Amino acid sequence: MPGDPPGTLPRTRPRTGPRTGPGRAAGAAPRHGGAGSAPRRRGNGLFVLACLLPALVLFALFMVVPTVNVFRMSFYTWSGFSPDMRFVGLDNFTALLDDAQFVRAFQNTVALLVVVTVVTMGMGLFLAAIMTRQRLRGRTLYRFVLYVPSVLSVVVIAAIFSAVFDQENGLINGTLRALSLDGLRQVWLGDQDLVLWSVAIAMVWQSLGYYMVLYMSGMASIPEDVYEASALDGASPGRQFFAITLPLIWQNLRTTLTFFVMSAVNLSFVLVRAMTGGGPDGSSEVLLSYMYKQAYTNSSYGYGMAIGVVIFAFSFLVSLLVSRATRREPLQF
Amino acid sequence: MKESTRSVLLVTARTLAASVCVGVVVVARATVGWGSLAIMLVALVGLLAVLASYNRRFR
Repeated sequence: MPGDPPGTLPRTRPRTGPRTGPGRAAGAAPRHGGAGSAPRRRGNGLFVLACLLPALVLFALFMVVPTVNVFRMSFYTWSGFSPDMRFVGLDNFTALLDDAQFVRAFQNTVALLVVVTVVTMGMGLFLAAIMTRQRLRGRTLYRFVLYVPSVLSVVVIAAIFSAVFDQENGLINGTLRALSLDGLRQVWLGDQDLVLWSVAIAMVWQSLGYYMVLYMSGMASIPEDVYEASALDGASPGRQFFAITLPLIWQNLRTTLTFFVMSAVNLSFVLVRAMTGGGPDGSSEVLLSYMYKQAYTNSSYGYGMAIGVVIFAFSFLVSLLVSRATRREPLQF
Repeated sequence: MKESTRSVLLVTARTLAASVCVGVVVVARATVGWGSLAIMLVALVGLLAVLASYNRRFR
């Protein structure tokens, strides 16, 4: 308003017109409502619908239709190329029961999901707490170094770890050789017992920095005086972490946990595909890579879609359980 | 039992339970079969149960 000092908000002008509500004089025209409000509401509704329509059409076209198609195709046998499709009912699903390779891929997926989630979330929280609460020298550098893998393409990470795990000149075996520890050298990507954990290490390395930064942003928003008050009461850093930090970033943690469960399934596919191709002898196969193999390499599209339905159901169920297990009232601070 | 002792015992029990669940997943993976897969899924549910039991008092 003219005459106000710069930076002040304009004051609301006192209302002098007719008031709606019980105190309004009989016969006065309402500001909103009445005979003209219904067409206006309808007009607003149409406008909102027109704005939403492009997004809804795209969502239906690229999300709903393909998802429904996956479910539909799981009841058919089809090579993926020929025009002949044959309805087989639940045959694809019953065939899964006798498929040992499917069971192995399922077991590998569950193992990666559990181990990678626990390690990534645990280390991410720990490192975030250290970076936020401790006055470390060069912590910006550490943060940068830990965050860099999140910016890299997964295929680049697969190439890096293929080089790290190389049998002859890889970083690990080369270091062991230089230290005269030849007995500890392993065929990291060729040993059936080790290959999945080699992929798990790459997954943790790729995800850790991203989740650490997310937790750090949550921790940075906690007021310092809360920690000061607890320190005056004699709380140790560990006690502060469990009694202050963890409860106050819980919503953050909950969202990332649910998100990670879904992304771990996808990430494992890309890394397995690029690092091992599911080998040796299918020992690092995960559900998505096995689905891909069946649908696009083995020309069993319907069978692949049946595996897709299992993946969908499994991911959905685990995400739902995680969401239920971590649900709580958000704390205000 | 003192409140602090009870709290320490509870934390230890939960940590042990979570570690056992992760261990079971790693060990059961070595054998391919529906039985082993079922054991792994039970361990996964066990982990989520530990998480839910920790979260219960904050609801």
